[in-house]
Amino acid sequence: MQQSAVDAVIRGLKRAGVSIVCYLPDSLFKELYPALDADPDIRTIRVTNEGEGAAICGGVFLSGKRAALVMENSGLRASVEPLARMGLGAGIPVVMLMSYRGDMGENNWWAVPHGVTMEPVLQALRIPYVVEREEARIEQAIVDAYELAYASYYHTAVALSGSIVR
Amino acid sequence: MKRFDCMTKLAAMLSDELVILSLGASVDEWYNAAPHMRAASLFQQQLGCVTPQAFGLAAGLPDRRIVSLDTDGGMMFNLGILATLGNEQPKNLFVVVWDNECYQSIGGPPTHTAFGRVDIAAIARGAGVPHAYTARTLEEFEDHCRKGLAAAEPYIVVAKVAGTVQPDIRRKHSDGREDKYIFVRHVEATEGITIMGPSEHN
Repeated sequence: MQQSAVDAVIRGLKRAGVSIVCYLPDSLFKELYPALDADPDIRTIRVTNEGEGAAICGGVFLSGKRAALVMENSGLRASVEPLARMGLGAGIPVVMLMSYRGDMGENNWWAVPHGVTMEPVLQALRIPYVVEREEARIEQAIVDAYELAYASYYHTAVALSGSIVR
Repeated sequence: MKRFDCMTKLAAMLSDELVILSLGASVDEWYNAAPHMRAASLFQQQLGCVTPQAFGLAAGLPDRRIVSLDTDGGMMFNLGILATLGNEQPKNLFVVVWDNECYQSIGGPPTHTAFGRVDIAAIARGAGVPHAYTARTLEEFEDHCRKGLAAAEPYIVVAKVAGTVQPDIRRKHSDGREDKYIFVRHVEATEGITIMGPSEHN
């Protein structure tokens, strides 16, 4: 990621009122994680798998603070169980920011399943999402994801792809 | 040792705390053992999510004591949270693991702790939570609750309890959304904050 894209993500998170970020690091967002760690207004929590991160984000919601789950899109699959239970069962929302592995341009064989499954899994869970490929749209996409999540009390997701992450 | 008796002891020590607890029969037991904590308790959270949610709540409300009432099956569903607690060292989180060595709510087939080899407290210590203990008597449990509720670092007590449910107690009706609203409104009232506020237009 270019520094300008990292800055746009952090601007979006701050405009949305996010103060806690749970993450499991990946390669496409490699530059984002240390920037989040270094930001004095954001507490980062490293997790052992994305499902754990989703549940922690759910707990943060209950505190009145705002959290984000940042991960590769493969983490969506690891998060399905807590997302389904918290979201569909209780209306506890989690906002996710994902790198889009397996999109057009993917050059790793192991990432192909991430592209095949991401959108169908989001659709199966009825999670509204956008895929952004232009840096200029990042900040507002993140703000909009929080607006909808806090109106619907349901999860939303932003996937970043294209030149943003390559 | 009966879980309901442990709950009664723990409940007597609680007033301002917030509690997150697992689904299963412990819902009805906690509802009856701690009537003064009903609005302060989020009932019926699922396997693997109870302690992570409690930790998220603890991270968001660092000046409030948070209690996680987890289970052996639930903790083993996501052992990774123990490593996260070990690294994050929350100062305001007390975790109870009701270890009845079975999946009680589906009739009692054994969990991994039933065979005398798996020790959740030892796993927790290995994950960086030194204050992780196993309680086998009511006195031990009560002592760990007293210490855990005052600790300035994560504190875990694994309570070895019978696989029975307290008979003749009032059943709690549970619905995930109603339970969430009751809990959130309690947090809002006691913290003086808005978590679920009005939308732009009504």
